[in-house]
Amino acid sequence: MRVAIVGLGKMGLVHAGILNVLPGVELVALCEKNNLIRRFSKKLFKGLEIVDDVKKLGKLNLDGVYVTTPIPSHFPVATAILENEISRNLFVEKTLAQTCEEAQRLVGLAETHESVTMVGYLRRFYVTFNKARDLLQHNTIGKVKSFNGYAYSSDFLGLEKEASASSRGGVLRDLGCHAIDLALWFFGDLKVTSAGDGSNREDVDSVSFKVEGSEIAGEFDVSWRKEEYRMPEVGLTMAGSGGKLFVNDDQVKLELVDGGSFNWYRHDLNDNVPFWLGLPEYYREDLHFVKSMASKSRDEPNFYSAAKVDRIISDVVGGEV
Amino acid sequence: MWLVEKFSENGKALLVGDNPFHNVSHLSQERTRLREKDTILPEHAADLIHLSVENGANGFMFSVSEKTLSILRILRERGEIDGLRLYSIVPYAYEYVKLATQVGGIPGLVKRVGTRIVTSGNLRGMATGITGFLNMNPTALMKTYLTYEIGRIRSCAGKKGNIECVLLHEVITDLALALGMDWLFKSYVDYMQKAKIGPGFNTVNFAYLVRKFKDWRIDLSHVVIAAPFNKIGFQMAPSREECEQALESLDKPILVAISVLAAGYLKPAEALRYVETLSNVKGFAVGISKESHAKETFRLAKTF
Repeated sequence: MRVAIVGLGKMGLVHAGILNVLPGVELVALCEKNNLIRRFSKKLFKGLEIVDDVKKLGKLNLDGVYVTTPIPSHFPVATAILENEISRNLFVEKTLAQTCEEAQRLVGLAETHESVTMVGYLRRFYVTFNKARDLLQHNTIGKVKSFNGYAYSSDFLGLEKEASASSRGGVLRDLGCHAIDLALWFFGDLKVTSAGDGSNREDVDSVSFKVEGSEIAGEFDVSWRKEEYRMPEVGLTMAGSGGKLFVNDDQVKLELVDGGSFNWYRHDLNDNVPFWLGLPEYYREDLHFVKSMASKSRDEPNFYSAAKVDRIISDVVGGEV
Repeated sequence: MWLVEKFSENGKALLVGDNPFHNVSHLSQERTRLREKDTILPEHAADLIHLSVENGANGFMFSVSEKTLSILRILRERGEIDGLRLYSIVPYAYEYVKLATQVGGIPGLVKRVGTRIVTSGNLRGMATGITGFLNMNPTALMKTYLTYEIGRIRSCAGKKGNIECVLLHEVITDLALALGMDWLFKSYVDYMQKAKIGPGFNTVNFAYLVRKFKDWRIDLSHVVIAAPFNKIGFQMAPSREECEQALESLDKPILVAISVLAAGYLKPAEALRYVETLSNVKGFAVGISKESHAKETFRLAKTF
């Protein structure tokens, strides 16, 4: 299976590494706009095609392309790849696009080209979130009536407004999207009902908003200026008729109404992978996409499910609630 | 029964790890937040290292950060650095990843680090770096960076500081492993040997690294590998069994076991009993955050 990567930032390098060790995968090309990185990459990655324009990937007979560029460029890059038939199958780092409209257009394009798609909602590959979802599906805490989600980091704590903050798509797209995607994965469709003051701006550092589903109500709090969060962290607390469930990147806590309580760490949940680069989830994520391409299956998180995250973000920052 | 004292007598490295000093817990961030109010200041960290040494430790394993450099400076000023075996890990990945996020990715990061190297006044490093940059030579740039980091350690640890080993952080080691960059490992070993410092590699993929180094004909007997080894197989990719087999296949003790307590999931007694069963262990590192830990961990084997 021949793959290429567009965008050689941190995520591009991580995916390049994992794809290079995945059985049956051949990393054949890298595309990077920055001249300095491209020149350096030619020395580092001998034997790989290094180009400056996605259209130059067209002759390489690719099975899949990873788009790991900054969020604002996801739409033009992904559109160019699909419209120019550079590859039918596409992985795009989260979020799918910068706006809900762009995301919808990509969903349509992927349908037209019968693409296998994936969006990098990494938390779906954490053992903790999988354990929590499994508990929910087994009705462990009964009917879930409400939840609280958070996504916190200290990435921009103590800094003046940096240009890079907006180039990352804003705090909701950069960080909050993970909590939103998990809630959609756990509970199905959600609709924004209200957003806190200032949420309808792209450049805010903290956002709070409320959502509701068919029989559930939830709240989100997102910030990248939280002092106590050395690393980015996402979590959900869910209240059900039979108990309470808490899950985050590191652990799952279950408290049942009848008095039973349980706690699982990653250590308890078989977290190992064949090759560990950065986090074990990256391996599981890339393996999932490669298998989806091989079987032509359209498993989530795909463009369709990811566009729902973009819709919620657009509703919050669009202030139309 | 394996004894820490015996281990030490055999020249093994019994290292105090620095994760608690950076307020890092690989068990959960929640635990980190709970102890946030008790952040360990450099003076207290130096106290803990000294207490650990009094109880059997003989070295310090640390990522090169402003905080650990301050700790080295304090140990030197107190005259407690003599004979202490220093195992440093570069780069301090957390700092660089965060910096990249803040300055807009890799180009911004390169600019910031380049500025730091230039303003450090390390002339040798600067000369190699300029040449490396102009020629886009990765090996020269790596050497520039290493010269800069080793210079930082030496300036804080002083002449009596025994930099026994400098290890490449797992982020670099494992990425280079994945991308098949044998030249990077060979250049690194060569550079460190010329600098008369032990070349080391921190990895989560111990079995893969051993296999690849054998394929690439890199002499494993001349390097140090710091990798997670613990009773529950935590962070032992692909599995505890395969890591143990790879360890047994070695000709010489080169492993510094880390994550021995599986990030606090295991009690020191059961954790060390497991390490005792392993062959080819050069030493281990355990993070110490309290006086009681310093005493218990390194004296523990005496009670076996």
